[in-house]
Amino acid sequence: MSGAEAREAVFPTRQVLGQMKSKLKGAQTGHDLLKRKSEALTKRFREITRRIDEAKRKMGRVMQIAAFSLAEVTYAVGSGALTYQIQESAKSAKFRVRTKQENVSGVMLPAFEAFQTEGGSDFQLTGLGKGGQQVARCRETYARAVETLVELASLQTAFVILDEVIKVVNRRVNAIEHVIIPRTENTIKYINSELDELDREEFYRLKKVSGKKERDAAAAEVEREAKKSNAQGDFESQMEDEESKDLLADEGEEDVIF
Amino acid sequence: MEGMFYNVNFGFIEGIVRGYRNTLLTGQNYNNLTQCETIDDVKLQLGPAYGDFLSALPPNPSTSALADKTTEKLVSEFRYLQANAVGSLSKFMEYLTYGYMIDNVALLITGTLHERDTRELLERCHPLGTFETMPVLCVATNIEELYNSVLIETPLAPYFKGSLSHHDLDELNIEIIRNTLYKNYLEDFYQWVNNHPDMAGTPTAEVMSEVLEFEADRRSINITLNSFGTELSKAERQKLYPSFGKLYPEGTLMLSRADDLEGVRIVVDMVSDYKSFFDQAGLSQGGGGGVGNMSGGTGQETKSLEDMFYQKEMEISKMAFTHQFTHAVVYAWVKLREQEIRNITWIAECIAQNQKERIGNYISVF
Repeated sequence: MSGAEAREAVFPTRQVLGQMKSKLKGAQTGHDLLKRKSEALTKRFREITRRIDEAKRKMGRVMQIAAFSLAEVTYAVGSGALTYQIQESAKSAKFRVRTKQENVSGVMLPAFEAFQTEGGSDFQLTGLGKGGQQVARCRETYARAVETLVELASLQTAFVILDEVIKVVNRRVNAIEHVIIPRTENTIKYINSELDELDREEFYRLKKVSGKKERDAAAAEVEREAKKSNAQGDFESQMEDEESKDLLADEGEEDVIF
Repeated sequence: MEGMFYNVNFGFIEGIVRGYRNTLLTGQNYNNLTQCETIDDVKLQLGPAYGDFLSALPPNPSTSALADKTTEKLVSEFRYLQANAVGSLSKFMEYLTYGYMIDNVALLITGTLHERDTRELLERCHPLGTFETMPVLCVATNIEELYNSVLIETPLAPYFKGSLSHHDLDELNIEIIRNTLYKNYLEDFYQWVNNHPDMAGTPTAEVMSEVLEFEADRRSINITLNSFGTELSKAERQKLYPSFGKLYPEGTLMLSRADDLEGVRIVVDMVSDYKSFFDQAGLSQGGGGGVGNMSGGTGQETKSLEDMFYQKEMEISKMAFTHQFTHAVVYAWVKLREQEIRNITWIAECIAQNQKERIGNYISVF
C-alpha cells in the first residue's frame, strides 16, 4: 500500500500516541457514520431516479394529450388568432409553484409544489361563440401537463443535489478509509516502534550502568585487598596503583563514547 | 320568374362557384388523406386540389403552414369572385366578409387595450376580413381615439352604434364585444337578405334565412353552454342572443334563464333538429355527463355537440347548391371550403401527432 510509508510528522511521545489513538477511533466512527449516510442517500437517489423515469414517461403522454387538445381547439375555433387573444387576456398566473425543504440525512432537498389560485381563469369567456368548451378543456389538460412538469422539475433538482452530495460523502468515506485511517495507524505503529526503541535503549543503558557499577565495586574490592596487602611491598603496590588508574581512564572514555 | 334575369348579372359568378364546388375534396379524397403516414404524403394527396399553393411549402411543413396555404387559396378564389361580382351579389359578398372583420377588429382592440404594437397583429388577421381602413386601426393608441375616429370609418360602424359606447370597449370583456357585434351583424344580414328588392322572396332569401337562423340558434346555444360557470350574468347573456332564428323569441328567453344543461335541453326540445343533436351527443340523459362531455372528448366515440353543428352547417351548405339562381351558393361554398381547411388541418395534426385513432373526426359531406 502506498500509504505504508506515510505518517504524520509528530514527535514520538506517549502523549502524541494517546492523541493518535483517539484520532483513529474518531476516524473509524466517522467512517461508519458517513458510510451509513451515503447508503441512505444512495437509496433515496435510486428511488428518485425511478420516479424521474416514471415522471418522464408520464410527461410524454400528458404533453401529447395536451398538444392534441390544442389541435382540437384549433379545429373547433378554426382560426389562429385565438392564441393571441388568450395570451393577451391572461393577466395573472393561476398556476403557481411554492417550494418547501425536505431533509434527507442532513441534505436539504427543495420540493416544488404546484397549486392553483382561487377564481376562474382570465379568459373564461374566450370562445364564447364557439369552441369555448374546447378552450376550457385544453386549459385543464395543459394545467395537468404543467403539474407533471413541476413534479419532474422537483425530482430533477433533488437528483442533481443528491448526486453532488453523494459524491462528496463518498469522497469523504474513501478518504477516511484509504488515507486517514492507514496514516493514523502508521503513525501509531511508528510511535510504538520509537517508544520500544527508547525502551530498549533505556534498558541497555541501565544494563551498562549496572555493569559499570559492578566493575567499580570489583575494582574497589581489589583496591581494598591491595591496601590490606600493602605490607607486602611498596613497589609492588605502586605498580598496581598505576595499572588501576589506566583502567579507570579507559572505563571513563568508553562511557563518553557510549 | 325570379330566376329569369338572374344570369344576366350573376350567372358567371354562379357558374364559377359551382365549378369551385366540384373541386372540393370528396369522401374518397379524405379516405386517401387518412391513410397518409407523413405530412409530405398529405401534401402530395392534396396536390390535385391545391397544387400551386402548396408547392412553395418546404418538405414536412407544419400543420399551421398547411392551413395558411389552403386558406390562401380560398382567399384568392374569393377575391376573384368578389372582383367579378356586381350589384347585390357584390354587397352580399361584403356581408360575408363582415364576420371575419369582426374577428379582426376584436383582435386589434385586444392589442390596443394592452398597448401592444398593433402592426404585428395585422399579419394575424384573417385575410378575408381585411378592409381598406384596417391598417388605420393601428394608428389609434387609446380606446377613445379608436372608437371615435377609427371604428366609425370601418364597415362595422353600424354594429357598434347604439349598442357599444367607447366606455364599453374599455371595460367589457372583448368576447362580449365580439359577440355583441356578431349578433348585430347576423341580425343585419338577416334583415338585408329578406328585405333587399333583389332578394326578397327569391331562393336566396329562403336559403340564407335558413342558414342564418341556424347560425343564430347555434350561437345562442353555444353562448349559453359556454357561459355556465363563468361571470357572465344572465342579463348580459340575453343581450348576446340574436333576435331571430327558430329559437326566437321563446327559446332565447328560456335560454337566458337556463342555469344548467337541463335548462338548455328543455329549450332545444322545441326544435327537432337540435333535440336530435343533444340526443346523439349523449347530453339528454338527465344531464349526467355535464358540460365537459360535449367537448371533442379524448377517446369518446360519440360526436360532440360542436361537431353536430358543423355537420348540420355542412348539410345546409350542401343543400344550398340544389337551388339555382341564388347568391347563397357563394356563402355555402365559403363555408364548405372553411370546413375543408379545418378537416385538412385536423388530419394533418392527427398524423403529425401520431393520434391516428381519432383521425376520422373530420366532416365530409360529398
